[in-house]
Amino acid sequence: MFNPLEHKGLAPDQQLRSWRELNVDPIDPEAVDPYTRCRIITMNGIEVEAILFSHQFARNCPDDEVRRQLAYTRYVENQQQRVVNWLLPGLASVLETTLGYEQVAVDLTAWVARHEPDPYLRQAYEFGVLEDFDHLYRYANLYEMVERRKAEKVVDALTEVMPGRPTVHEHRHPFDEVRAPYDKDSVNPQSKLNALTILSAEQQVAIYYMNVGPQYMEPIARQLYQEISLIEQEHVTHYESLLDAGENWWERLLTHEYNECWLYHSFMEQESDPRIKAVWELHLQMELGHLQQAADLLRRHDGREPEEIVGSAGVPEPLLFEPNKQFLRHLLATQIDLNKLGEGYVREAHERFEWMQEQLHAGEKPPSEQVIDMHREQFGDEYRIETEGPHPVQSLRAAEGDRRA
Amino acid sequence: MPEAPATPGPNEDVVSLLLTQHARIEELFLLVTGSTGETRAEAFNDLVRLLAVHETAEEEVVHPLSRTLPGDNDALIDERLAEERQAKETLKVLIEGGVDADGFDEGVLLLRTSVLAHARHEERYEFPRLRQHVPADRLRQLATAVRAAEAAAPTRPHPGAESATANAVVGIPLTVIDRIRDAIRSAAD
Repeated sequence: MFNPLEHKGLAPDQQLRSWRELNVDPIDPEAVDPYTRCRIITMNGIEVEAILFSHQFARNCPDDEVRRQLAYTRYVENQQQRVVNWLLPGLASVLETTLGYEQVAVDLTAWVARHEPDPYLRQAYEFGVLEDFDHLYRYANLYEMVERRKAEKVVDALTEVMPGRPTVHEHRHPFDEVRAPYDKDSVNPQSKLNALTILSAEQQVAIYYMNVGPQYMEPIARQLYQEISLIEQEHVTHYESLLDAGENWWERLLTHEYNECWLYHSFMEQESDPRIKAVWELHLQMELGHLQQAADLLRRHDGREPEEIVGSAGVPEPLLFEPNKQFLRHLLATQIDLNKLGEGYVREAHERFEWMQEQLHAGEKPPSEQVIDMHREQFGDEYRIETEGPHPVQSLRAAEGDRRA
Repeated sequence: MPEAPATPGPNEDVVSLLLTQHARIEELFLLVTGSTGETRAEAFNDLVRLLAVHETAEEEVVHPLSRTLPGDNDALIDERLAEERQAKETLKVLIEGGVDADGFDEGVLLLRTSVLAHARHEERYEFPRLRQHVPADRLRQLATAVRAAEAAAPTRPHPGAESATANAVVGIPLTVIDRIRDAIRSAAD
């Protein structure tokens, strides 16, 4: 297994890029492997988290020398983010990128759920993925209405598009979003990486939606972004609460860098586009350098070895973007009506949930329901991609006469 | 291959109709680049026809309307027209050589990039202003004109000997373009 702690990587003073190096050619949206787009969106979220984390660390760090070192690495990470995110093409619309974000949320979370060793943490991913799955379906219907195009163009047939846990039922009291954390000293290191990865991805989705939503003129588009961005923010709460708040800044920094090594290494192994693979390869070398620095800081300021935080066995097996259709259909069939109460999961609509629903919906249909009604009205049906047969939940099957029923 | 987009009834305005055509143009490009033989030749013919209908409709209806909107839109419209002219030049070469010619693959990719970028420019900077400033019933009426243009275009244009010169300019016979243009003008009034 690949052990990032055994590699030196690229020295920090070799990591700055010129304008020429920053000015990357974007992917061709008409010919790209959808999972290449997914890897780009994922690594953008990971780099954004690296930047935000580093800022928070700096604001909580009284040591000037450490603050300078953080500032330098953060500058490099900003350049990494600019390169990764600028691989996305100007030709793509905001909604097309949104469909890419939801495809990431579905297939990334599904992979993590399938590979999470801890049952309580696994339940958190299984629960969350059904909600992003539903968002993909709502946005796909919006996309056909607003841009007259089909989500198939973006997600291909790799990810199905049909209702998940209906977005209308995803609005819960914030108290019930807070999960119980893992125990940093006994948890499997892969669980730490899984949680940080999904947290970063969801955080980027939330930030993206809350900023691009008002760019639309169509009222239904503005409203749908508002609604789903609020759910994504709740997902950030859901996933970040899985992390042990007892992890100190030094070990958090180390976990961040180690996680980036795992993901760049994973994507380098899987990447089908040689030009993009070269980016993952270079960034892996840079992250190995950052990891060395983080390990030194941990030793110096915390008196611990990096292996005590992330283990000595190397990174987990490579994280892969691949279809998860049967897994998702199984979850749809078994967990569609699941709800949250306290730190656990229940099936009844409890009092606090009902109270929240009343406050928010105020007797009206939310945008996520309206978008489907409007699509049916305009096109006579709703947009779905059901490659593996009818929806596993009877009540969520498309109505008679649908194009894709 | 995705099916043709559903056509949403008479309430559709000209912007929605043009968006539907953009989507169809994207699909036809995918079909042309991803197929061979007869399928490819047919897809290319369909693409040429749709581009003729679509660009003529934009030149006749949409861009002139945009020029009348508040603010100085001339530079923006001139850029769109220049893109359309450039696309026609590339298209001309591709039609003359045919789908089996050397360099067709590269040419069609170039054409695709310029046509799709052109379409995105319109969607981002031109269409929203139409919806903002032009009354909805006028936009719906103009959709009728564009549909008339589609009906006026032959399903399989055969650039023939009778219009070799005209063909060299626009890619398909000028007589066909004239028919499309007449259909738009009489329906738009």
